[in-house]
Amino acid sequence: MRDLVKMVVVLTVICGASGFVLSYVNEATKAPREYQLLKYVQEPSIKAVLPEYDNDPIKDRVEMDAGKDAKGQPVKRNIFPAKQGGKTVAVAYGSAANGYHGPIDVMVGIDGEGNLTGISIMTHTETPGLGARVVEPGFTGQFEGLQPGQVKLAAEGGKVDAISGATLSSKGVVTAVRQAIEFFPQVKKEVF
Amino acid sequence: MSVVKEFTKGLWKEVPPFRLVLGLCPVLAVTTAAKNGMGMGLATTFVLVCSNVLVSLLRNVIPSKVRIAAFIVVIASFVVIVELMMQAYFYPLYKVLGIFIPLIVVNCIILGRAEAFASKNPLFPSIADGLGMGLGFTLSLTFLGGIREIFGAGTIFGMPLMGASFEPFSILVKAPGAFICLGLILGLINWISAKRS
Repeated sequence: MRDLVKMVVVLTVICGASGFVLSYVNEATKAPREYQLLKYVQEPSIKAVLPEYDNDPIKDRVEMDAGKDAKGQPVKRNIFPAKQGGKTVAVAYGSAANGYHGPIDVMVGIDGEGNLTGISIMTHTETPGLGARVVEPGFTGQFEGLQPGQVKLAAEGGKVDAISGATLSSKGVVTAVRQAIEFFPQVKKEVF
Repeated sequence: MSVVKEFTKGLWKEVPPFRLVLGLCPVLAVTTAAKNGMGMGLATTFVLVCSNVLVSLLRNVIPSKVRIAAFIVVIASFVVIVELMMQAYFYPLYKVLGIFIPLIVVNCIILGRAEAFASKNPLFPSIADGLGMGLGFTLSLTFLGGIREIFGAGTIFGMPLMGASFEPFSILVKAPGAFICLGLILGLINWISAKRS
């Protein structure tokens, strides 16, 4: 009986101590882990869509509320500002819309006037050889320098040529970019 | 004296992957390059030394019937610490090692040393044992990774070594290459020790 009690007590204490230590380490490494994740996963896209900058957009990121998702949970959005000499010249943030197969995640760069500085596709599940061609510079390059009103497919009076055979994928990218543009006034108030 | 002996036995006489032939899963899987082998080895060394320290300190408190459960909790805690730290400060290495970091928990070297050594010996010999075994493991992985990287990719620690005309034996960085290299090294070590005795 005394053996049994000892076993239970010792194991409980060890597990409790372990849980305590781990929760502490988890808290302590939270910020650097988030930073590393953004740096290695999103920085290449951020770099591609922003003009020249001399700050660290990931370190200077601003977290903003972006409405609620389908389940009513608040959505947070990371805004990455590009600064030159301490002045914000452009921002980059992610946006997503459905393509042909599933969501297309797009990083969108926008300057102070609301014009696009560039876009980059982060993740997608489009058809290889057709819809997947939205990642090619030939497609994404068209967005550079566009004004908000011009972000439409050419067939609808805009300035973006769809990829032939992949209208829905092209449309998905355009929708994602348009959503980012619609969100821009809020960003402008808070970041610039 | 005995502390020194406990330390050096891990480096040659009982070097884990080649002599005890323990912990082969990460040995085969992550040694595609010297750097990956070294990172894995150092992570394992950290867990090994820390768990040896704790197991040795607690050896008179833990009832023998539940010792394995207690050891696993101790080891798993240190593995999670390593995982979080690596994710926070060495993200590219963390991505490469992937699932093999959490799998350090079930690495038989660590449980083996806790059970066979640290649970029966005082603190300092246990630290020496953990350090020696860990260092032996790290050197073995770096050596194996180095061989596979030099002949399989023509680089060492990512630096080009063999010149442009070198055609890499790409089989060596794939899974069969791990078995071939490990087998050759085991043979070589057995041959050396057979000659010595």
